[in-house]
Order: sequence, then C-alpha cells, then structure tokens
Amino acid sequence: MIFTTPLGLLALLAIPAIVAIHLFRRRFPIRPVAGLFLWQMAQRTPEGGGRITRLPITTSLILECLAALALALILGGARLSPAGVSQHLVVLLDDSASMAAANAAGESARDRAARRVLGEIERLGPGGRITLVVSGERPSVLAGPAALALEARPALEKWKPAALHHSLALGLRLARELAGRTGKLMIVSDLAPGARGEGEIEGALWVSVGEPLANVGITAAERTLSPEAGRGVVSLTFGNYSDSTSRRHLRITAGSKEVGSKDIDVPAGVSSLTLPLSPGLPAVRIDLSGDALSRDNEVTLVEPRPRIVGVENRLRDGRGRQALIKALGAVASVTQANPGHLAFIEAAAIDTAGAPGVWKAAFGRPPAGWLGSGEPGDFIGPFVLEKRHPLLAGTTLGGVVWPGVMPLAPGTVRPLASAGDQVLIGVPAVSARSDPAYLFNIDLDRTNLVRAPDWPILISNLVEMRRQSLPGPERWNYQIGEWVRVRLGHEPKGPLRFRCGTVERTLPASRQLEFIAPSPGGLLQILEGDTLLFDIGVNFFDETESSLRKQSTADAGRFADVSGLTAESGPASDPLFWVLLAITTAAIVGNWWVLGAGIRSQPLRPLPPLHR
Amino acid sequence: MPPLSIDWAAVRAAAALRLALPRTPLGGRNGERLGSGTGSSLEFQDYRPYAPGDDLRHVDWAAYARSELLAVRLYREEVAPRIDLVVDTSRSMGVSEQKLRAYGELTGLLACACASTVADSRVITRSAAQPQPLNVPEDIERLVACDSSHSALEDTHLPFRRRSLRVVVSDFLFPHDADVLVSRLARDGAMLSLIQLTLQDEAEPNAEGPRRLVDVEGHGELDLVIDETAIHAYRARFSRLRLGLSRAARRTGARFAYVVAGTPIRDVAKTLAAAGVLEAA
Repeated sequence: MIFTTPLGLLALLAIPAIVAIHLFRRRFPIRPVAGLFLWQMAQRTPEGGGRITRLPITTSLILECLAALALALILGGARLSPAGVSQHLVVLLDDSASMAAANAAGESARDRAARRVLGEIERLGPGGRITLVVSGERPSVLAGPAALALEARPALEKWKPAALHHSLALGLRLARELAGRTGKLMIVSDLAPGARGEGEIEGALWVSVGEPLANVGITAAERTLSPEAGRGVVSLTFGNYSDSTSRRHLRITAGSKEVGSKDIDVPAGVSSLTLPLSPGLPAVRIDLSGDALSRDNEVTLVEPRPRIVGVENRLRDGRGRQALIKALGAVASVTQANPGHLAFIEAAAIDTAGAPGVWKAAFGRPPAGWLGSGEPGDFIGPFVLEKRHPLLAGTTLGGVVWPGVMPLAPGTVRPLASAGDQVLIGVPAVSARSDPAYLFNIDLDRTNLVRAPDWPILISNLVEMRRQSLPGPERWNYQIGEWVRVRLGHEPKGPLRFRCGTVERTLPASRQLEFIAPSPGGLLQILEGDTLLFDIGVNFFDETESSLRKQSTADAGRFADVSGLTAESGPASDPLFWVLLAITTAAIVGNWWVLGAGIRSQPLRPLPPLHR
Repeated sequence: MPPLSIDWAAVRAAAALRLALPRTPLGGRNGERLGSGTGSSLEFQDYRPYAPGDDLRHVDWAAYARSELLAVRLYREEVAPRIDLVVDTSRSMGVSEQKLRAYGELTGLLACACASTVADSRVITRSAAQPQPLNVPEDIERLVACDSSHSALEDTHLPFRRRSLRVVVSDFLFPHDADVLVSRLARDGAMLSLIQLTLQDEAEPNAEGPRRLVDVEGHGELDLVIDETAIHAYRARFSRLRLGLSRAARRTGARFAYVVAGTPIRDVAKTLAAAGVLEAA
C-alpha cells in the first residue's frame, strides 16, 4: 500500500479519541419512565462527570473506529498502485505482408505477435497503458498513444499486416518518440533484428515471431496488347522460395467467368510464364493455388489501351524532314494525322495560329519579330542544358555541331539549351497561354544532330511528353504504393473518387489526378459521379515479402529501465479508494442505525403477559 | 408491547357495581333511565296548552273542569345512557408489567360496570379512530393496546357523543393544563369521571442514584442523579399534577379517582365507588 499524502494519516488520532469518548462517556443505567417531563429540573447531571469503567466493546465503538480508520486512509491517499504512474508499453508491429504467412497449422506470425502482445498487456495489469504503432512507409498509431488495455485489445484484433517490404526505421523512430523516457519499447517482427534496415535497437525488446516457410508467389505480371496482331498476352514472373519444384494450379477469371486454367510446375528460384489472352477482355484476375502466403498468389490485370500520338511532319524537304521521318518510325504508338497532337513545323510559322490541342516543334529560323541584333552563328559546345526538363532527359548533345543559331530578342524564348547567350532550344514565352511549343534554333540541313544519338531521344521525348498529356492513365497496371497518374479529357462535371475493394476515397476535382495505389489492391475504378471512367489494376508484387526463408523466432535485447507513465489521475483511479469509501459510508450508516435502533428499542422492551 | 391480558376471575369477583348515573337528564335511545326530553314514561314532567292533534287521552280533564282551559300532560322520556369509555393506549400505560396488569384489571372492571349499567357503551382510544362498541366486557382486551406514542387525551378533539357518560382512564403523565383538559372532556357531557392510574413508584419514587431516564413514548432521554433533592422536586410536581386534575374535576362537577397500580381490584372498586364513579348495581 502506498500513501500519496502521508500527513493525512494524522487523522488516525481520531481512533484513540473515539475510544476515550467511549471510555469516559457516562453510562447510567437506563430507567424507562412514563412522564419524563416531571423529571426535568435544573440539576440534571452529577458534577463529578463519568466514571472510568472497563471499555465496553460495542458495535457502535467498532463502527466508529472503522469509519475513522477508513477516512484516515482516504485522507492519507492510500493506493494499491503508485499514484498516477502506469506502466507504458509501446509496441511496434511489423506490418509487412510476410507477417500474415501461415504455417501448416494455420497459425501466422501475426497470430503469434498478437498473442505475445496480449501477454504483455496482461502483465501490465489493468492500469497499464499501451501504444500500438504499425510500421510502414508511413507509420501509424493503431491504438493510443497510451491507450488502456481495453482499447488496445480490439485494435490488435483488427490488425492485418499487408504492407510491402519496408524498413522499420520510420516506425521505430515514431515508437521511440511515443515511448519517450517513460515507456518501454517492444518491436514485434517475423525477422531478426537488422533484417529490415532499422539500425540500432538498443533499449528495446525485439521479438521475432517468424517461421521459415516455403512459398511460391507472383512477383511480377504484365498484360500487353498487340492491336496489329489482334492478340493479348499475360506475362507472369514467379518466385519459388523453396529448394524444389512446386506444382501449382493457375486460374484466370474475367469477372465471374473463367477464361483460363492451367497446372504449372514452378521451379525453385525465379521463372516466368507467358499466356495468350483474348483481346477486349475486361480486367482479369489470376489466382495461384494456395500456400503459406496468400497475398502474393493473386494479381489483377487490366488490358492496356495505348494512347496513340498523331504527328504532322510539315518540315520542308531536306535532311531534317527525312531524319524526322526516320526517328518517328522508331517510336511506338505514333501515327500520321492532320491535325495531329504534335506538329513539326518550320520555325518561321511558330507564331501562326493552329488547330487547338496541337503542340508545335519548330525548327529553323525564328520569325523576324523574335530576332535580336547580331549575326547568326554556329556552335560546337559546350552547351548548357536544362536537364530537369523532360525534353532533354537522356540527352548530352556531345559532339553536336549546332549551326544557324539566330540571335533572339530578350524575353521571347525561355531557354532549355543554350550556348553562351544564344538560345538553342527554348519555349516561346507566348505559348504559355496557348498549346505548348518548342523552338529549335538550328539549321537542320547543316547540323550533324540528325545523325547523333541525341536526335531520336529528343524526338522520342517530344512524342512521350505529348502522349503524357493525352487523356487516360499513365499506365494501366500498378504496384501497391506507386503513384497513379490519370489525366482526364475534360473538366470534371461530378465528384471524382476511386474505389478499390473496400477502399474508397474522394479525389480532387482536377483534370490531372494523382494518388497512391492503395492496399490491398485489386481492381481500382475511377468514377465521376456514378460514371466509370477508368479501370486500373493494383497488385502486390514484392519479392522480398514473398520470400519466407529468413523468418526466425527469438527475443533480442531487453526493455529499458523507465519511470513509467505519469498520468493525471485522482484517487478515484485506484480501487482501494472506492473500497475505503464504501467502508466509511457503511460504518457511518450502520452506526447511525445501531444508535437509533438502540434508542428506539429501549422503550419498547417487551413485557411479559399478565396472568389470567 | 404485549396485548392486554386481564384476570377476569378477579375482575368479575369485584364487579358487582355499575356506573353511577347523574341526576341530570341523560341522552340516549329508549331505555330504562330517565332522559332529558319528553317521552312516554309514567313520571310527570309538565303541562302545556292543548294543540290540535294532541292525543286526547293526555288532556287533563280535571284541570279543564277547574279552569276551562284545555291542557295536556307531558311525561319524561326513558333512555338507555350513552357511555364513552376513554382509555389511554400510550406506551406509558405499559411502562412496567405491574402497571400494565393493573391497567388491564381497571379497564376490565369498568367494562363490567358498563355492562351492568345496561348502556350504549363505546370505547374511545384515539381521536382519529372510530369508537368501538363494547358489547361484552371481554371486548376491552381486544380494543386496548398500549402501543401509541401519545395519549388520546392529548388530542384536541375526541369523538364524544352528546350527553354521554364519559369515563376517562389514564395516568395523565403528559404535559397538560388540567382545567383546559377537564373542560374539554366534560363539554356537552352528562357526566365525566377521571380515573388516574399510576405506579406507586411514579407517585413516590425512591432515590436510585444516577439513571438515564428514557421516556417510553420516545420524548427524549435525561441523565439524572435521582437523589433526595430530585425526589422532592418530582413529588412536588406530581402532586401538583394530581391536585390540578382533582380540582379541575371538582370545578366541572366531574368525579376523580386515583388508583395506585398493585392495589387489589376489590379495593380499586371500593375506591371508585367512594369517588362516585361506580355504584351498587
């Protein structure tokens, strides 16, 4: 028992006072009378006071002493546990998908982790405080901070690890911050310390609850479509993390309809499989028969719909035009169109109005109004490139002779590549309010750029930039955690949201949508109001998590000596307070009843019956 | 509090008495005693002038012959007296076994006297309770239970009947003004009899030393050394109380008798007869 205010124990002096009162109290023999009023006279009591007689142990004395003792203990702040101090345990739960891998008995590392944590909660007792932190790229608090066991238990029951491979470092940092100097820290993972890149774990208990298991999983998948050939293909990459070939059953379904089924032998290590798939099918789901980890046995693939870029080649005949035709021939999903999405034109016509939505790539002498003072010049470098711009990604312009560079008036073009104070490639300032345009200040007939490796790269970058700006998803199948980028072909007219299994989120009303592919994945649908815009496949591909060979079971490290969590809690937080309060109340009420009953009962003493 | 238990053999042995009746007219139904109104007894009451419709048999023809005036003779009525027996059911009447027994014998004696009187007898125990008829003397055992926290006499109104004989039995050990109390009890009554019953110890207590006096009716406690001084003061107050009752009774024409518990019932009967409460049947 602990006393938070020991001075309150001075109230125990009330007990000898009560005993003294009972000892010295006058105890006259009781005499019932019929007319007390006749006895009421001036001299009522003896002058000498009461006599000291043997202390009668009466019920009243016991109850009064009991009430005084209980009150003194309350005033002394008696507690069964330290006042306001609770044991605080911060648990970092490894949220990796491998924690869900189950052994032959159906028991997973997650089950063992939950059992271990519940054991620790039991050990802390009812006053213990728990903080559950879930690891991940963005660690989160599952219960707490400093939650009661009552709150932590249901949160732990709901915990389902499903994240991709990640470092525990961020989670460990959050857990340490939450633990501070008052909480103990425990990490529960299926791997040994250090295996998840968390670094130093001093002052914490690392509990490994893993079990090495054999597993086969789909570590990569791709669905392609060849419109020219009129066929689709699914390419799967398997990882067999065991020492022997494993036989599995593969099943492909589109909606509720099975479109393919096959028994396959998956050799140890990495292997791949290509399956034909009819074009035009909706999203297909591919399932591999079960093993330790079910998370990597299923993928959802959406048929890609390539965004074809229409180009116009309006360059005059010459080396440049031919070189452009050659370069465009090497870029996929490009077609000639008029008007197209991208027009290659002479620079002199760059400021003329064109069809809306047509990007311009202008080569040659700029319009006269853009020219500055000075003579044209030829440059062989060095060139200053704006490497962050996607147009110049992968280019060096090494060894390129850049002839016919016309001096430009200041402010007409924002340079992307320059030589000295001359702009070689730039973005016209006027194009900021219209469709994008790029000025190549170069004489294509005299340059060796068209024969340099940078030429097809430049053309490809231009085409891909335009392709990225076309409506539709950037890709059609993603891995969980990847950024999904979708461009709408119109301004959204209704609320935008996406739905992926049980996950549903609202998206900002914008033509350019960006969000992270949510876990647990599956078919992701982007909706405008109730109208389906796009289907996207989101899948779990993680070789590291699929490999369950390094899992282990052991405890490492130990809890740090901490002071415990000091909580603002009154005496009511301790059960002893309520017990003492109940005793006090019962004793006072009992004493009142006993005294009252005594007074009431004396005049009503039963008298023997009269003789007949 | 145990029920009243009466030694009826002893009581009946001493119960060859009936309640004394006053000379004043009584109220009641037709019976054997003269009433206060005009009736059909043989006792002449008065003359009055003849009125049409009077029974011609009651015309005094002799007087007509003398005075030539028609007059009819009126006779006294005969009634059965009404008796209201007021018994004190407060706990003080059962403060001791001796007092309770004496109270039982006294009320039994009075019940027998009521029966001998051939009267319409009722027992009044509380102001709020309906008076109960006393058909046979044994009814008194059922009607009297000393368990009340106060005496019915302390109530300002008791359900007396007009012109009734009223017999009040109590120890009168409650604070009161005797004149007011007796006047209230005697109002509109034919006769009032007060019988005070106390223990000898209540009249003349002995020095007992320190005692905690507890009022049996729950009116408090008092720590007191009962010495000669206290005894002297108590006796003086008790005497004043009894004397006050006696004088108030005398002033209102009521009878007053004082009975000490423990007195043989035969002697009690004599005491009541001597006080005019009872008379030979």
